[in-house]
Amino acid sequence: MKRFQPPKPISMTLNLAPLVDVMMCLIVFFLLASRLVSAQHSPLHLAAANAATQMERSELGPRVVINVRPGADGTSADYLIHRWDGRSIREERLKATELRAYLADRAGRAKKNDQPLRCVIRADRETEYAHVEMVLRACGLAKIANVAFSVNASDAEGDAP
Amino acid sequence: MRRTLPEPASARVPNLAPMVDVIMVILVFFMLGASLEVFKEGVFQTELDPRSGPGEGVAIEIIPSVKIALRLSPDGGASAIHVMGRPLAENSAAGLRSFLTARRRAGADPKSPIVVTADARVHWRYVVRAIDAAVQAGFKNVQFAVSLAPEGGGE
Repeated sequence: MKRFQPPKPISMTLNLAPLVDVMMCLIVFFLLASRLVSAQHSPLHLAAANAATQMERSELGPRVVINVRPGADGTSADYLIHRWDGRSIREERLKATELRAYLADRAGRAKKNDQPLRCVIRADRETEYAHVEMVLRACGLAKIANVAFSVNASDAEGDAP
Repeated sequence: MRRTLPEPASARVPNLAPMVDVIMVILVFFMLGASLEVFKEGVFQTELDPRSGPGEGVAIEIIPSVKIALRLSPDGGASAIHVMGRPLAENSAAGLRSFLTARRRAGADPKSPIVVTADARVHWRYVVRAIDAAVQAGFKNVQFAVSLAPEGGGE
């Protein structure tokens, strides 16, 4: 007489652990990537323009980003940069007199690597031109010839002068 | 001797379906957020005069096809557009674009520099509009007349 044998258990559930692993990796990637992308960019109201070239940031090549926004008193300006200190990206405020030294340092390091440096100026639309000109002048003195201005290409304004 | 059936597999494996749902929502959020951020900004590229590098206080001499100056209007609001030293008849970005387009059709070289200057207190958005008008009119080489003297604002 045959002995009764219980049926072998059949797993009816999907093994979702690998899927969770992959998705967690993707989330970590997007978290880090989006943070790095925005890390050099302070929240500013950029001026609108229709004819601006839309470029991936990687297409700009080696670059140094200077954010310019109006100061609290309405006449001065804040020059904001972002530095990597080995652990995190920190926002720093430069004085106008420190711009040239900072840009010259960056240009010197880029020259050692034989890579032309580009300066990306992100100025708030309410910034007075004198403060942007200050950055342009610092670029000239730091021997950075390539300059790009970030604008808002997706929010065209009216046609007022 | 009594035998018990083995417990079902679903009782031994934690149910990961709700976790997957949440992770999918987070993933979609970050994907959309990242892409929106990347495609929003555009750039205008320019090159400073190569002679601006070697030393301080070097005068920049550019022979522009058009020189655009933005003057601060008396009320401190919008800027007054001057072209080649004269106020533009239609003081608007469209007026400047029309003027530059006509200039180009008249034979101006699109590679020749358009030089933009502005009063120190003119807001940056008016300068960007002037650049925008120049690029829309077909001029690709927009430059700034920047004095390399240590102090000094715009014209």
